[in-house]
Amino acid sequence: MSIVVGYVPTAEGAAALDRAIIEAQRNQSRLVIINSSRGDALVDKRYVPAEDLAAVTERLEREGVEHLVLQPVRGHDAANEVLDAAEKYRADLIVIGLRKRTPVGKLIMGSTAQQILLEASCPVLAVKAGT
Amino acid sequence: MTSLASRLKGRSELGVAALLGAAGALVLLDAARLVTPYSQSDPVGPKTVPIIVGALLLVCSVWLAVNVLRGGHGEAEGGEDIDLTHPADWKTILPLAGAFIANILLIDWAGWVISGTVLFWGSVWALGSRHYVRDGLISLALALLTFYGFYLGLGIPLPAGLLEGIL
Amino acid sequence: MDILSSLMDGFATALTPMNLLYALIGVILGTAVGVLPGIGPAMTVALLLPVATVLEPTSAFIMFAGIYYGGMYGGSTTSILLNTPGESSSVITAIEGNRMAKAGRAAQALATAAIGSFVAGTIGTTLLVVFTPIVVDFAVSLGSPSYFAIMILALLAVTAVLGESRLRGFASLGLGLAIGLVGIDSVTGQRRLTFGQPLLADGLDIVVIAVAIFAVGEALWVAAHLRRTPLQIIPVGRPWMGKQDWKRSWKPWLRGTAYGFPFGALPAGGAEIPTFLSYVTEKRLSKHPEEFGKGAIEGVAGPEAANNAAAAGTLTPMLALGLPTNATAAVMLAAFVQFGIQPGPLLFENEGPLVWALIASLFIGNTLLLLVNLPLAPLWAKLLRLPRPYLYAGILFFATLGAYSVNLQAFDLVILLVLGALGFMMRRFGLPVLPLILGVILGPRVEGQLRKTLQLSAGDVSGLWSEPIAIVVYIIVALVLVWPLLFKAWRRARPTRVAAAGPVTGGPVGDRSTADRSAAESPSVDSPTATRHRQADVSDGQENADAPKVTHVNHGQEKQ
Repeated sequence: MSIVVGYVPTAEGAAALDRAIIEAQRNQSRLVIINSSRGDALVDKRYVPAEDLAAVTERLEREGVEHLVLQPVRGHDAANEVLDAAEKYRADLIVIGLRKRTPVGKLIMGSTAQQILLEASCPVLAVKAGT
Repeated sequence: MTSLASRLKGRSELGVAALLGAAGALVLLDAARLVTPYSQSDPVGPKTVPIIVGALLLVCSVWLAVNVLRGGHGEAEGGEDIDLTHPADWKTILPLAGAFIANILLIDWAGWVISGTVLFWGSVWALGSRHYVRDGLISLALALLTFYGFYLGLGIPLPAGLLEGIL
Repeated sequence: MDILSSLMDGFATALTPMNLLYALIGVILGTAVGVLPGIGPAMTVALLLPVATVLEPTSAFIMFAGIYYGGMYGGSTTSILLNTPGESSSVITAIEGNRMAKAGRAAQALATAAIGSFVAGTIGTTLLVVFTPIVVDFAVSLGSPSYFAIMILALLAVTAVLGESRLRGFASLGLGLAIGLVGIDSVTGQRRLTFGQPLLADGLDIVVIAVAIFAVGEALWVAAHLRRTPLQIIPVGRPWMGKQDWKRSWKPWLRGTAYGFPFGALPAGGAEIPTFLSYVTEKRLSKHPEEFGKGAIEGVAGPEAANNAAAAGTLTPMLALGLPTNATAAVMLAAFVQFGIQPGPLLFENEGPLVWALIASLFIGNTLLLLVNLPLAPLWAKLLRLPRPYLYAGILFFATLGAYSVNLQAFDLVILLVLGALGFMMRRFGLPVLPLILGVILGPRVEGQLRKTLQLSAGDVSGLWSEPIAIVVYIIVALVLVWPLLFKAWRRARPTRVAAAGPVTGGPVGDRSTADRSAAESPSVDSPTATRHRQADVSDGQENADAPKVTHVNHGQEKQ
């Protein structure tokens, strides 16, 4: 049994992580944290630096959550990475953060959240920042 | 034989030496074909410099071959965006070259707008982007913009090809 | 000729609204390509060559000048924020500046780099104004034999001194000279290396060659080795400096300038050695030597100033003698040829207004760069998020477009691909590209001078050394060629000294180390030209473990 959370270093990402930790503690499940990058630009601010990731790991250990932190860089979209991980670790819950998007922005960029919601084979918990 | 084979293994740099040798031979052969009219105003003639250049290339070829067989190797060029820890990624290079060749074949017949779109879209795809629709729109926009930009702004008429009369 | 009034006329030309606009376009483009990975000023100028031919030559060169200086500014921004120097001359900035940035002083590092570049660029350009006419006066008095000797010196110096391997430098030079031979021989009208192809009779277009080697070759090479792990960029606000920073920066700026300019002006000085000299000097003179290697502001201020002053110095032989010593200057020289302007000592006489407008625009561009860079540094850093597929596909797209638009024939694109493949191969096997480009550009001119010289001496070979200057230059050529042998002998004689200069920095750190060249030698003041693998001696002894690993670039070659 495990919970997969898509983590990015933003308010939404932090909210998703917070919530995922609560869920993992409640269900005694393993938490799989995915922080992926397509790796197609020299700099990706959504890719968490090692020090910050260490802080996350430390926190998980403090809170006694069994965890696995993954940072795949394989040229795949974040949605695919989260879905892949959900399948591989037989997740019974996916937690994601949601952010506000303008309709135009969604049209051009597509929506990671939307793809996960539509394609996931397990329940998805969507969290907004500041909740 | 085996020692020679093992020596040759992983020495793709010998190909560079071969290329230099071929280039040198070509330059020398071409120079041999030239006629040197005796002339007071040009004692050097058209042959001298090609012969020097050809000789330089041949010397470099031999020198490089010796250097490589003795274990020397050229340092691949690094850079900001280069990761030399993985080998050359032919899965990227070959499609890129394909897009480039497609453009060469298409440009005069189909016109720049079509061939340029194919070039950009193909290159972006080869480099790993998978947003087909977005990439297609960007490619078409770039090709159209440059076509009109060159025509109106610089006065250079790029070929319109199949779209002649529409553009 | 009165220099000051010529310069004022230059300013009058450069300050017209249209030319100011081109200067602004140039500095913005230059900064952008300096920041962007995988694309540099030489490649940009090459890509713009075809487009520029429809502009006034003056406007085009004003734009190129902006790109040339702008590339330096942009390069220092990425060096500091990312620790990836785009060229060997910003290795030091990358190390010391990145340490400063990590310690939360990114704003000060960027500020001292930008202001130092401005100071050095302005002083360097002033020195250019003072010295270039002197060099021209001297050069105009030279006859063909001396001029031939000087061109040989420039070719050999760039080939033999800059770069890792002399052998590979000569191979590259040979290829360039061979490419330069293609076409109709100007004296006898015979076709050389055209293989019966009428399309080759006019020779290979220098635009196509430059675009192929710098843009296509580079894009293919980077595409084959794309870095997959994202780098961390250090967030930064608007650059600024406190009173203390100013106090610690101004002397290194001036000293760096003093190192940079002469080295830049030498045929094979380059921008790399002066940055190391400046670093070592600042470390010795500093009241805080312990800060060096941990982010000392002097270690950013000095080398950055040296770097920019060298860029200005490089223009002295370029404008006075028509001898480029770095890639961007080489492409700018190709631009002169493209415009039908004859580079060389007569440039000032024949194209005075253009040259002075170009020099004036260097002052203007430098000022614009300071204005564009200081407030906008955080914005420039955003450029690094551009997805690579678009960046490199864009380079290929514009390379194709540019090469095709010169003659509107698909044949040029075949040449572009073939020479692009050659550029790829050269990068793969460590053949420097600068000698090739110089061979293509200077080869025909060298041959012309040779034939002129021997025509004057009626075929007598001794005509080659019939002038005293020529003899002096040949002695220097000989020294350049035998120097490594002498150095080897000297090294054998003093083995202990060598041990001290042995490899210092080592282990790869983190997951971003890429270059496998970890051997480094400490730069020592006594043998600056001697150490072939130069890397900063920033970390002494025990600090080696966390010494920053720098992505290395070929020496003597900037980011193209």
